[in-house]
Amino acid sequence: MDTILKVENVSKSYTGHKALEDVSLSVPRGAVYGLLGPNGAGKTTLIRVITRITLADKGRVLLDGKVISEEDIFHIGYMPEERGLYKKMRVGEQAMFFARLKGMSKSDAEARLKGWFERLELADWWNRKVEDLSKGMAQKVQFISTVVHEPKLLIFDEPFSGFDPINADRLKQEILGLRDRGATIIFSTHNMASVEEICDHITLINKSHNILSGSVEEIRREAGGNTFNVIYASNDEQFTAATEGIASLLGESRGVVGGYREAKILIPKDEDVRSVISRLNDTCGLRSISEVIPSMNDIFIRAVNGTL
Amino acid sequence: MRKMWLIIMREFSERARKKSFIVTTLLMPLFMVALMIAPSLVMLYGTSEQKRVVVVDRSGWVADELVSTPEVMFERSDMSKREVCSTYGEDSGVFGILYIGSEIEHPDSVQLITNESSSIMIEETITNQLSDIVNRQKLQSYGIDYRILDSLSTRVGLATFANDGTGEEASMESTSSDINYILGIVLGMLLYMIIIIYGQMVLTSVVEEKASRVIDVMVTSCTPFQIMMGKILGIALVAVTQIAIWALLVIAASNYLVPMLFSEELVATNDVMMQSIMGTIGDTGYVTMLFGCLLAFVVGGFLLYAGLYAAAGSAVDSVQEGQQYNTIIMMPIILSIIIMMTVFNDPNSPIAFWASIIPFTAPIVMIARVPFGIPTWEIVVSLLLLYISFIFVTWFAARIFRVGIFMHGKRPSWRELWRWLNLK
Repeated sequence: MDTILKVENVSKSYTGHKALEDVSLSVPRGAVYGLLGPNGAGKTTLIRVITRITLADKGRVLLDGKVISEEDIFHIGYMPEERGLYKKMRVGEQAMFFARLKGMSKSDAEARLKGWFERLELADWWNRKVEDLSKGMAQKVQFISTVVHEPKLLIFDEPFSGFDPINADRLKQEILGLRDRGATIIFSTHNMASVEEICDHITLINKSHNILSGSVEEIRREAGGNTFNVIYASNDEQFTAATEGIASLLGESRGVVGGYREAKILIPKDEDVRSVISRLNDTCGLRSISEVIPSMNDIFIRAVNGTL
Repeated sequence: MRKMWLIIMREFSERARKKSFIVTTLLMPLFMVALMIAPSLVMLYGTSEQKRVVVVDRSGWVADELVSTPEVMFERSDMSKREVCSTYGEDSGVFGILYIGSEIEHPDSVQLITNESSSIMIEETITNQLSDIVNRQKLQSYGIDYRILDSLSTRVGLATFANDGTGEEASMESTSSDINYILGIVLGMLLYMIIIIYGQMVLTSVVEEKASRVIDVMVTSCTPFQIMMGKILGIALVAVTQIAIWALLVIAASNYLVPMLFSEELVATNDVMMQSIMGTIGDTGYVTMLFGCLLAFVVGGFLLYAGLYAAAGSAVDSVQEGQQYNTIIMMPIILSIIIMMTVFNDPNSPIAFWASIIPFTAPIVMIARVPFGIPTWEIVVSLLLLYISFIFVTWFAARIFRVGIFMHGKRPSWRELWRWLNLK
């Protein structure tokens, strides 16, 4: 795997509180990489360590195999969660200022920014003051300022917060577009739907530890291992008796159309799935059985609760 | 350097384009000129028409001695006080009735009964004349001619010159403590205001940038030092622009406005003070030199303190929280003002000299001494030390700034600040 960014055993403490403990992860080049975790898990601290805003107590961050330097940071694109813009400045001037700080020439910055402003329907706002913008529009300006210099690595902290579904979708498409043009994207989020839709890889951080890492596909497959959805004709007592010792019931069973019942079961790895099916078929009037691939939302909750 | 320049220009253009900046820059000199010339204008044009005062004299010898002036015209009447009051009422066009009792020195013996509100000028004219008349009467009773006494009161005018070795009045530069005093106060206070106002601007600007989290975006584009210096220099540029505009306005005023506003007779007055004011404002070379010094000390003084203000701003979350540090930063500035006041008694006293060499008090104290014509080497040494200290203070401030700018939450203790200072 071609790794663009590597975080090795990073720990960071603030007075009386550990924000990160021995966190490691590898971000493949060209991936959309999700950093997940409940509030206060340490996601923003990790991002601030990567961007060198905060220095780690232990561990290191490597970009293209070399310890990340101040100069490297100047070439990445970073959009913090709490978005700051100069309220009294004009929108266009503001975007130009950030683009030029990233080293772009005046003409280049103006041409590219105007293109982005057209695309995200902000062109009419170029000469307006930042304080006149709605929250969503201000976020778009921030997004444009982050990506306009086309960095190879982009880091977004909670990019979807504050966007309506239409604009959130728009942003997703833009993020995928940036990936297709060769950028690697790291973003932190609570929005699990967006993770399923656009992330290739994730890391789940909880209570300052990395508790789950890998490609979204693998994680979902593994987490869903041996969970099945069963529809049967018998009553619940018979079903419970039939699964006794060979499978465990997940949650409550419920009635479905046609007078049948539906339940979710977990078949232990050492049990033969086919023999379970045949037993259910014989004793419970099995109507259908299908493997359940959990949503990222389920995985998130189970991982955080320690039941994955 | 390019990035710092971008930050400087952003800070500058944001402030210089504000309406408040344009208004204060243009109105301040007008306001000051108005303040300076208002008293003379009031004196020139403030007098109203002559007032009629009817005099009822019971003493019998005072009324004849009263002399009418451009302000007051005295008319003697033989009627009684009551009759006069009823005859010369509100519609008579008479300002008032001056009643002089038989015992003029007795309290309440002299009364002014007016038909309209009284004025200090008229009251003064009357009391001065009455006192003179009584004095003359007394001198006469002692057998002394009052003209002898008049010839005793003398007023000597003192023209001061800077010695150039020739002893020739025409070649020596005219100096005057009075005008130096005024200039010293004006320059010292101007510098004090600029350091405080613009220093506070640095603090506010840093706090705002920190609170709005723009700083998080900025630090992935440039170093904290570039941000801090960009802010400080951008605001310094605003201050320099303001002073430059003021200088141009004052020079323009000295060349065109002063000759226009002040009449020939005022300029040709015998008053030494007035002459030296006219001379100073009219001397373009001298005014340019003063503004040059002002600019050098303003920039140096501002830069010295701006680092401290930036460090203070970085350590707090709101402008209110910054007040504690602000008070401490202001102590040497206020001390400078106190020392400045002693400069006017003796511009070359040891305390004035040392305070104008020690960088933290130098800008204000030195600029107040400059009009008194102090040796150039003192100014050079003072400026040199000021700018060297600026480098040290900024280095120290930058170390606090780069840590403080990312800290949110409770205000750091002095111990924590010390730890930030020593962080690698």
